[in-house]
Amino acid sequence: MGWTREAVLAEVRGIIEGHADAGACLDERTELVADLGIDSLGVMEVVAELEDRFGMRIGDAELRNVVSLGDVASAIVRRLDVDGRLDPTTSAEAS
Amino acid sequence: MMLRTLAQAIEDAGKSTHNGFRFIDEATDAEPFFTFSGIERATALFGGALQARGLQKGDRVALILPDNQDFVFAFLGAVRAGVVPVPIYPPAGLRKLDGYLESTLHIIEKSGAKLVVTDAEIKALLGTVQLRAAGLQSVLSVEVLRKSRAPLRPVTIGLEDTAFLQFTSGSTSQPKGVVVTHANIAHNVDAFMRLGLRIEDGKDSGVSWLPLYHDMGLIGFVIGPIYHRNTITFLPPFAFLKRPVRWLQTISRHRATISFGPNFAYALCCKRIKDSELAGLDLSSWRVAGCGAEPIRAANLEAFSEKFASVGFDPRALLPCYGMAEATLAVSFAEVNTGLHVDDVDAATLAAEGLAKAPSPGAPPGEITSIVSCGRSFAGHEVLVFAEEDASSGTPLPDRQVGELRVRGPSITSGYFNEPTLSREAFAGGWLRTGDLGYCVDGEVFVCGRSKELIILNGRNYYPQDLEWSAGMVEGVRKGNVVGFGTRKPFNDRERVVVCVETAVTDPAAREALKLEVQRAVRQATGLAIDDVVAVDIGVLPKTSSGKLRRGAARELYESGKLFIRASARSGSSVDTAKELAKSQLGYLRDAIFSDKKQ
Repeated sequence: MGWTREAVLAEVRGIIEGHADAGACLDERTELVADLGIDSLGVMEVVAELEDRFGMRIGDAELRNVVSLGDVASAIVRRLDVDGRLDPTTSAEAS
Repeated sequence: MMLRTLAQAIEDAGKSTHNGFRFIDEATDAEPFFTFSGIERATALFGGALQARGLQKGDRVALILPDNQDFVFAFLGAVRAGVVPVPIYPPAGLRKLDGYLESTLHIIEKSGAKLVVTDAEIKALLGTVQLRAAGLQSVLSVEVLRKSRAPLRPVTIGLEDTAFLQFTSGSTSQPKGVVVTHANIAHNVDAFMRLGLRIEDGKDSGVSWLPLYHDMGLIGFVIGPIYHRNTITFLPPFAFLKRPVRWLQTISRHRATISFGPNFAYALCCKRIKDSELAGLDLSSWRVAGCGAEPIRAANLEAFSEKFASVGFDPRALLPCYGMAEATLAVSFAEVNTGLHVDDVDAATLAAEGLAKAPSPGAPPGEITSIVSCGRSFAGHEVLVFAEEDASSGTPLPDRQVGELRVRGPSITSGYFNEPTLSREAFAGGWLRTGDLGYCVDGEVFVCGRSKELIILNGRNYYPQDLEWSAGMVEGVRKGNVVGFGTRKPFNDRERVVVCVETAVTDPAAREALKLEVQRAVRQATGLAIDDVVAVDIGVLPKTSSGKLRRGAARELYESGKLFIRASARSGSSVDTAKELAKSQLGYLRDAIFSDKKQ
């Protein structure tokens, strides 16, 4: 059993929630920097936690033009797909 | 001292088949090592490739290369071909690209670069930049350049030739390109490597995670070590920022003797490195832990010493330094192997009178400001303090009197590329105006404020113009009537970023919404979270008689109104804020408004 996009999204959301102000409203379109005010060093902490949770190395190139919570989840899904760790029902292209 | 150009130093280093550069690959943990002899050959090929593309001596080439190895080879290759490299920082992750593209376009146009060398992926992101930049002939991916086998044709390069342009980072409104000559480099490298670090040629070795498009990383860890043939291990900045422990692990593994970081890097290590991660670290080889590029806080460095003492860190290794791109890199270093020298002064006298005097005996910590010594200027260079209005640098201020730090000597650059007015304004009577506030004691330099306007947070410089520009885009804000600044008052806990905007909006709820929108716009454009937005009525912000905004004056108004800061930050009533501001500073504001109306 691999990861589904829903499961990835839930994990990403949980990690980002930990860095946002309490009670902040998060959805797929929420932007980490513009909406949640996570600063550049905070973003790095988020990335380190994502690496730990998903067991992967995330390079800076993979985060270019990644702005929202949904973008982050999609980037992770793409990587999981490359590594063959996605649930067969989830397609990286669809995300 | 025999001065050599950087091009000559690369050739000379090429005789070394033992020392060189090691580039850690973040994705694979591979650590390819290139001897200086190998670097000499690789850079000759890069230089030849640029010549084969038609670039000639003095032409500019912009480099946007996030990979350290690519950057080092391309940069040094360009220098050997007499082509002037212009480093540009790569786009940051988790951020929209719009602001980045604008600033990149500005640097390309301002530098008159004929060619941009980048990687395939950034090339795609740059999109239409090529069409929009006048004079730019092509955007080339480094992969293509790497395949070239064209030999380097010899070029005569002299000490007075321009080696590269160092664009000051951060400002979308006006990044300026500092013109660094080979003579500037040769003098500064001699100063900081030989006199400052007491470097042992070929023996000392370094570790650096510093970005190479910044002067501390580029000159301190690429150029300096080439002159003295020291082995350096480069860790990608991103790897350090994600997991600060990797910096210390790399020092430990390679038995490095020298590594530098801005103040925030030391603070980050204290905050983010868990005690469980200390196992296996051995920092006993680290003889110089340099700290510069942003205001130095004694408390941060002391906490670092304490935390890492158990794994062999020697507090005497800490070496505060002072410098700036306009001075090539370094202006003064503390003495090696002596650790921090902290001057405790009376906080109130410092703030009110600009005098650094000893605190009264038994004064509580809250009344003391601790200022770290950045050592003495290097031989052949001078640092003195002048009143800011002393336009000819006629009368240096006495010891312990705070004023503008000004420097002169052979490391000082002539100014900015194609900016005659700004270059002229950078000097006063032959001295470079640093814009930093500080004082001297027996020649020791103490930096106690920095440029009044620059906002420095987490090692990044933010120009108020950028915050103001993005805040000014918000509907309802009176464009051009926005002031941004950083302040440590009145809470004195950390740097707070404040933006004041003028608006015709009077409805309290609408003003509140406007403030949120300003906050969002600035975050989006700069990545900076503003601590406080103040909305005031039209005409309230202080201006000069020519209508220029007075940031310093606006900041003083803000700082003095303790009550109003709390009101706006906590209860959030911007209308009350504006009223408080108006009431408490009525006389002053009348002047400001009056002079505004003269326009």
